[in-house]
Amino acid sequence: MLIPAMFAKKHETQAISELTLSQLDRDGAICEAVVHVSGDTRATFLGNAVVGGAALLGALTAPALAGATAPSDVAILNYALTLEYLQAAFYTEAERLGAIRGKLTQIPRQLGAVERAHVAAIRAALGQAAVKRPAFDFRGVTEDQTKFLKTAVAFEDLAAAAYKAQAARIKSAALLTAAISIHSVEARHAAWMRFLAGVTPAASAFDEGKPISEVKAIVASTHFVVAHPKMASRTNPKYKG
Amino acid sequence: MAPGGTLARAFGVSAGAVAAALIAVIVSSRASSSPSIVDVPDHLPAPPASALWVPKPVALHRSAAVAYWASVRSAVPGRAWPSRRAEIVAPLATKTPEDTTNIVLVVGRTRDRAGRLWVHVRLPVLPNDRTAWVPRSALGVYGAVHTHLIIDLERLTATLLRNGSAIFRAPIGVGRPEWPTPKGNFYIRDRLARYRSAFYGPLAFGTSARSSVLTDWPGGGFIGLHGTDEPQLVPGRISHGCVRFRNRDILELGRLMQVGTPVTIR
Repeated sequence: MLIPAMFAKKHETQAISELTLSQLDRDGAICEAVVHVSGDTRATFLGNAVVGGAALLGALTAPALAGATAPSDVAILNYALTLEYLQAAFYTEAERLGAIRGKLTQIPRQLGAVERAHVAAIRAALGQAAVKRPAFDFRGVTEDQTKFLKTAVAFEDLAAAAYKAQAARIKSAALLTAAISIHSVEARHAAWMRFLAGVTPAASAFDEGKPISEVKAIVASTHFVVAHPKMASRTNPKYKG
Repeated sequence: MAPGGTLARAFGVSAGAVAAALIAVIVSSRASSSPSIVDVPDHLPAPPASALWVPKPVALHRSAAVAYWASVRSAVPGRAWPSRRAEIVAPLATKTPEDTTNIVLVVGRTRDRAGRLWVHVRLPVLPNDRTAWVPRSALGVYGAVHTHLIIDLERLTATLLRNGSAIFRAPIGVGRPEWPTPKGNFYIRDRLARYRSAFYGPLAFGTSARSSVLTDWPGGGFIGLHGTDEPQLVPGRISHGCVRFRNRDILELGRLMQVGTPVTIR
């Protein structure tokens, strides 16, 4: 598993840890996920929470970390959706910007189309219960050939490991069937990206899943998940009129 | 095929013959040992249907009319060319006068000799229509829009294009001859609603355009697109430089146009 450690800069972590939830979660996406997972109320959560980069992702998975109750299938689906949002946004931005060339030219288009299909399928299944799409700042990685490929390897490995770890927790057989059908695609992507990166595609006979705590720590270390830019205001206009 | 091919080369026979021989060996071994796949009982339950409808891969909508914006993550000087030593064109702040996130329209990118990524952006400064280079590290979220607003000062109309096709057209009020609405290429910076001024109607958009005449206006003299409490004056040359719409038109525009949309005033 390649971890994009180049993003885990100490000063960035410190800067983010000083933010409050309301600053990070302007459109309520994180709060909404917590309410789904924990059964907590939005007001209670907002009243108690002061979160940093790692805690932000931890909030998404509160019951699993607490160990009190197993996450519901809806919570697992929302967890999967969050990872699919991340992957889909990553490849979509790379395809739009068009900076990935050479042997990787087709990767953003081909993988992006698949990850967007995963997002569409999970959102359709969740309906109103789906968490909102977060904002992502990929910090130039989608415009850099080498960083793009390393991150693609990391994301695909991560997604395959995350699905695998949740498989035994899924109560619905129909949902498990769906999750496995996505998991095997993520594993194929992982092998493909590893091959392109010159890493052994399948290094071991048995793969291990990654627990939520590990997945959230890896995602948080990238600092890719950010607050939505504030585009609207109720401020009185100062335009010339 | 690789093992068969290797065997064929080793024994000087065709690969097809080797494959047939291998199958014969497998079949004979199944007959003499157990269990094998053919011994699995038929009465196992059928696998459950998938809970998700997984559609075909979703291709990205491709259009030559797409434009990109970026949020300003940290205050940074915009420079004349992609170098830390280049002349400063104008500083870029992280917030607009309306306390929204400052965004810039992306018009290009390159790398300097050290490999640092620089982004060429359109600026919300005077003189109008200026661009500058900023390091990618000072920018944050990228966004894409498929819309483009055309303000026609001659015909007094606003036309919104989506993927190059007109989807909205409305009459407008523009600047009086002494306070002209500036011409050039701009973009939508933010969206204001639920404020307390009837003068601006129910909705207003901030643009990157600025008046070159009324420069001491509060907030810097930015040109807005907004509604009005005097709809009878639209169309006309009636404003201080802003673009006024009838209220029903600005609400319709608000339904169709996103922040980040390029604006051409001609």
